[in-house]
Amino acid sequence: MDETVIKLDNVTVRFRIPHEKIPTFREYAIRWIKRRGVTFSHFNALDDVSFSIKKGQTVGIIGSNGAGKSTLLKVISRVIRPTEGRVFLKGRIAPLLELGAGFDYEMTGRENIFLNGAVLGFSKKNMADQIEQIVDFSGIKEFIDAPVRTYSSGMVARLGFAIATHIQPEVLIIDEILSVGDAEFQQKSTARILNYHKNGSTILIVSHNAPSIKQLCDHAIWLEHGSIKMQGDANEVVDHYSAYLHS
Amino acid sequence: MLEYDSANRPPPVIDEFIQLIRYRDLIVLLVENILKNRYKRSVLGIFWMLLNPLLQTIVLTIAFGTMFKSSLPNYAVYILSGLLAWNFITQTAQYAMSTMAYGGGLLNRIYIPRATYIVAATGNGLINLVISISSLVIIIIFLGHPITWTWLFLPVSIGILTIFVLGFALLLSTAAVFFTDTVDIYQVFIQALFFLTPIMYPPSIFPAELHQLLLLNPFITLIDIFREPIYANQIPDAALIIKATLFSLITLLTGWIVFTKRADQLAYRL
Repeated sequence: MDETVIKLDNVTVRFRIPHEKIPTFREYAIRWIKRRGVTFSHFNALDDVSFSIKKGQTVGIIGSNGAGKSTLLKVISRVIRPTEGRVFLKGRIAPLLELGAGFDYEMTGRENIFLNGAVLGFSKKNMADQIEQIVDFSGIKEFIDAPVRTYSSGMVARLGFAIATHIQPEVLIIDEILSVGDAEFQQKSTARILNYHKNGSTILIVSHNAPSIKQLCDHAIWLEHGSIKMQGDANEVVDHYSAYLHS
Repeated sequence: MLEYDSANRPPPVIDEFIQLIRYRDLIVLLVENILKNRYKRSVLGIFWMLLNPLLQTIVLTIAFGTMFKSSLPNYAVYILSGLLAWNFITQTAQYAMSTMAYGGGLLNRIYIPRATYIVAATGNGLINLVISISSLVIIIIFLGHPITWTWLFLPVSIGILTIFVLGFALLLSTAAVFFTDTVDIYQVFIQALFFLTPIMYPPSIFPAELHQLLLLNPFITLIDIFREPIYANQIPDAALIIKATLFSLITLLTGWIVFTKRADQLAYRL
């Protein structure tokens, strides 16, 4: 049980911000002819962040807007590579995508289950084995063969959650997604996350909602301006964070 | 157990290839979905893929057919075989570019191999090409143009074209992500190139001294290796095959290296 599944060593993510926006060939050519270089400033979205997460932990990530939470998730889900430092991951990471990302709205719910599974790196066969359970859990069985564009946003969220949690990734990343869906579904998904935790899966949750972090997580990381301000026991970190917000 | 270590991975040129193979089911699904989506909501469905080139050929034959009556018998076969190769190249590149520049939304939310969409676009173009060949066969039968064993060479031609298209699409897509006006420039450029490539007319309309210059246009070789087995019923000569193959391989290699080198920056730019 003491196995490290996520480990970040001195991770820095630096964005280059050009002072003037030059997204076209034309502008670039004009600049080149005038022999005027492009000037940049740098911005560290993550600045020397180190932590490790062990198998079975449920970790909450909190922080105000622009603190680097999303960048952190992107580094962990391999979307961007760190400018400096090292990211080490073990096992399959499944980010629960924001509403409907990764869905093709023209396709049916059933087709989208396969598509979403493939996007997460699972084979067709793998998905075919689980499709009935996924459909059952999503609770939208009667609409599963209708195009997703006819779904309500709650239904899309249900389907997305059902897929991401059914494929049993070693690490599940949840980004503010639990705020969608009705009360019943929220309850169901909370129960599922807790159950997940019991099965020894690792979960990363990003949320502004302090009570839900306290309820779900045993460990928390508080980010501020790209660096870790505090990490440790979830209750403690969340209390400090709330105190900081209200001071 | 799957492991990832940002400090220790194969060079991007190799890594991207390994990842694409790992995600092959996704590529197949995307190709299927593009096909299904395009024709799902129309009554004629898949028949549009046959009708489109047919209608295009009829219009162009009526417009220009009499002009080249003596030099190009069965003009419709000449033009359609040229058009199919041309459309395969240009439409695939255009499609790949627009999915990368505007539709690459998934690429900055979740990890999938960066070239996924480009490979899928190429696969889709390939299927379109094969289906459109059926409409070419319809015209050929209708006009009584001979179909000979030289058709057996077509898979080789299509293979060479595909290699080129993938490289071409990779290059253009990389540019499209970094410069948003790439698509506009491309359209103007391709339009001009269309008239500079003997597709609607025979190469003989150029004066002899321009011929050497004309051969600098590499698209001619690509069109020719596809058109000759169909229209002229002959296997392209070895020099032409070698030229087309080399050109395609160099394009793919360049495209692959340029793309994979930039791939890490894509998520920052999209």
